[in-house]
Amino acid sequence: MNPSESETGIPAVDASGLPDHVTEADIRESAARERREKLRMFLTNWQGLTGLILVTLFFASAVFAPWLAPYDPNALDVPARLSGPTLEHLAGTDQLGRDTLSRILYGGRVALYIAAIGVSVSLVIGLILGMIAGFGPRWLDNLLLLVFDTVRSFPTIVLALATVALTGPSLGVVLAIVIITSIPQYARVARTATLTLRNTDFILAERSLGASMTRTLLHHVMPNVIGPLLILAAMEVPVVVTVEAGLSFLGLGVTPPTASWGTILNEGYLVIRDAPWMVIAGGIPLILTTLGFTFLGEALRDIFDPRMGKGR
Amino acid sequence: MPKDALNSPETLLDVRNLSVEFRTPRGRVKALRDITIPIRKNRIIGIVGESGSGKSTVLWALLGLLAKNADVTGGEVRFGDRDLLHASEAQLRATRGEEISVVFQDPMTSQIPVLTYGRQMLDILYRRPNVSAAEKRRMAIEMLGKVGIPDPDKRIDQYPHHFSGGMRQRAGIAMALLTGPQLLLADEPTTALDVTMEAQIIHLLQDLQKELEATVVVVSHNLGLIAELCDDVVVMYAGEVIEAGEVHEIFHNAQHPYTRALLECDPARIDDVSRKLPVIPGDIPDLTKALSGCIYAPRCQRALPVCREKLPPDVARGEMSLARCHLLDGPHHDPSWPPPLDVMTVGQGVVGASKPARVKTDKPLLEVSDLNVQFETVGHLRARLKGITQRHVDAVLDVSLLVAPGETVGLVGESGSGKTTLGRCVLNLVQAQAGSVRFEGQEIRNMPESRFKPLRRDMAMMFQDPVGSLSPRKSVRALITEPFQIHGVTGIDLDAEAERLADMVRLPKPFLSRYPHELSGGQARRVGVARALALNPKLIIADEPTAGLDVSVQGEILNLMADLQAEHGLGYLIITHNLPVVRHIADRLAIMYLGRIVEEGRTDELFGRPVHPYTQALVEGVPQPDPDRRRVHVSISGEVPSLLNRPKGCDFAGRCPFAQDLCRAEKPPHVKMANGRRHACHFPLD
Repeated sequence: MNPSESETGIPAVDASGLPDHVTEADIRESAARERREKLRMFLTNWQGLTGLILVTLFFASAVFAPWLAPYDPNALDVPARLSGPTLEHLAGTDQLGRDTLSRILYGGRVALYIAAIGVSVSLVIGLILGMIAGFGPRWLDNLLLLVFDTVRSFPTIVLALATVALTGPSLGVVLAIVIITSIPQYARVARTATLTLRNTDFILAERSLGASMTRTLLHHVMPNVIGPLLILAAMEVPVVVTVEAGLSFLGLGVTPPTASWGTILNEGYLVIRDAPWMVIAGGIPLILTTLGFTFLGEALRDIFDPRMGKGR
Repeated sequence: MPKDALNSPETLLDVRNLSVEFRTPRGRVKALRDITIPIRKNRIIGIVGESGSGKSTVLWALLGLLAKNADVTGGEVRFGDRDLLHASEAQLRATRGEEISVVFQDPMTSQIPVLTYGRQMLDILYRRPNVSAAEKRRMAIEMLGKVGIPDPDKRIDQYPHHFSGGMRQRAGIAMALLTGPQLLLADEPTTALDVTMEAQIIHLLQDLQKELEATVVVVSHNLGLIAELCDDVVVMYAGEVIEAGEVHEIFHNAQHPYTRALLECDPARIDDVSRKLPVIPGDIPDLTKALSGCIYAPRCQRALPVCREKLPPDVARGEMSLARCHLLDGPHHDPSWPPPLDVMTVGQGVVGASKPARVKTDKPLLEVSDLNVQFETVGHLRARLKGITQRHVDAVLDVSLLVAPGETVGLVGESGSGKTTLGRCVLNLVQAQAGSVRFEGQEIRNMPESRFKPLRRDMAMMFQDPVGSLSPRKSVRALITEPFQIHGVTGIDLDAEAERLADMVRLPKPFLSRYPHELSGGQARRVGVARALALNPKLIIADEPTAGLDVSVQGEILNLMADLQAEHGLGYLIITHNLPVVRHIADRLAIMYLGRIVEEGRTDELFGRPVHPYTQALVEGVPQPDPDRRRVHVSISGEVPSLLNRPKGCDFAGRCPFAQDLCRAEKPPHVKMANGRRHACHFPLD
């Protein structure tokens, strides 16, 4: 029941229930307008746009590699081995005469696979652990922090060397190493953000309504914590890609003959005096991907992170 | 503004036709439009307005400290023969601090925490190389003494965290005055302080202004403060000066309908205690839109068709006064406006009928007895090592309180009095160490959450910060319906429930899809009320329900709460420091001081005849929005002591004007008087 004006002294509202200077369309407008404005800011930011284009290229080239690649990545063209860029082989060939461009495109699939699975799994686990550490009892927080710090204190490459010595090189090991070493980063960011939210009025309000801890974390803490984490994840992708390339370069990652940017670099490195093309062609996608994700992450942070706001 | 006032030598600083716009993602906000404010020498000028009126923007524009997205689109600020708007940064820096200085709203954040006051004050005098450091220090000590800081020569070497809130604001004033500025700007100087402290700061500013012959500009939303402190008043609304004049003219003979409405809405001015407060309908207009006509027309009770089309004339009254309204002059002049002071010009709810005969039950809804809440200050180990025996502070000490169904109980106290802790303890959000809390006869103190959860349907809490207590990434619809989901209420249509609740709190339906940051304070407060009411509770604990709301909006919220109480028979426990407001809504009051209830009784009796000296100080401490009722003396001095060193005797003994030896030696017990009032005083006033 809505008591009328004469009863309550409440402002006259018209049939739609709005004060006369606000129209319904205005109200719907304002929320959408802010989002559109952010999108516009993002698209006019040269860094953001470059990042977005490079990242799209990375994804597209990896996903559509079977259609884009001119040759099978393992097909040998022995007469043309170690050739420079020619019309047949746009990025040259390696010592076995395999087409480098095709190998780069297929190598992107490995990079994408590691990056997508590695980053998303570690993000989810890190987020959950971080929120529990920030929201749970003090002893649990201390215990988790100890674990995070222990894991972080291992140098990634040394950890990988030790593991591979036990298990032998494989893509799965690379993935596991990537996930384990990047969980603490996300967890620490999530924990700090959760700690600052923990004593805010709205969390207390949820408690006073009787919301369970799971509900509070999932519905009220997570949406406020996830933003900075996603930005962090975008900036983390190139790190994961280079870790994979690095491990493969050392022969600890993917096993031959599978193409990976790291193995291309490794093979090119052996013949760098005779055919520098392989190293150059294998390095370019690595550089572009790193730049792309870094630009994208920074542009996202500048626009969406309220702490980066300018002016008073 | 009359032109002859502009060039008189009396004018120290002259803001002429100032316009400021802000570039925001929503478009250009025309925050100030053609503002003219002459500031006369040796006067205290008050700029008053609600939030969004642009009063602080004027202040920052004077200093050239506007945010980066601000554009000054016109006008000038003349200070002597200079134009501050077009001065170079070096000139501005020379002016700021030396000739114009500022007292900030929050002394907690406007002072450097890692430097001593001595160091900070020395730095303020950096433009005087020919004054020796020892001399500067002497000046600083002298100024600290002037603003009433005891032992200034010792305390100057302390850090801001050694000072209490009131002392810090005093130090802030001392820092502002150190260079002997001609103009002192004060931005809401008492908003962060308690009532008893506010009175002291008002008197301090008045005394200093007389002594130093400075000119002071005070920006505030608090009409009581303005009436008590100022000589001239400028009323702003949505970026325009709509009325200006001497303080008596404004408060006794307001010309503009907005000024009239604002004064009528102030609960401290309404003597007749009814449960309905007057309200100004509507909201402040959106300043990004094209504006035409009178800015106040959409909310004005007397608006004519012409008001929406033509800008009203500035009608001058005397040398300094003007009001901007069609009713006062020109073809639409209405000789019957303004009506006599006792005629209300704004709408008010129906009085009387709304309060139902209380549900007469013997069983109280909430019964708190001898409740004690302690907070740990040092850990076990450290206490053992350092030999500290008292490891806890008493935040709530032996508190007893009753709330009957359909009754409103006000819990009043200054900050640190433990009132919020008590409220949270009732809701089992804070653990209590002793005593009992009964809800409908059932003991609920420290009940495990699993057993307490069903009871949460019957008790709800409204939090102090209307926007901050709403989860920021949830839509209003999700927020309102959340209680149903938390308590697993099934078989209802959530959308229909959301609309029903929005209706109940008079929130327009399109707002259901908005997010908290897109709501104004009043709208967010309505959402808070709707959430609290979703499950038909019996008891609502409201923590500062009007905090952060403008005078014209707080009436709406309180009326709404009163209506809902009448409809559902709710019991309210209202936690507040705002006596004028609670006086209109509470049946009974309990006054808390340092975690103890010092007096409890019916509201009218408590106001009419306070028994405890602290109650008396609080009642007298509220500044009246009437320049004829200025207080000549401050009733109590000093500040609330820290909980860490609670006095041995009566907690209030250190500040009480009537304290005797017994008060300092022994805690007064709670005494029940014949008419049901309770107090804790050895020598009750009569």
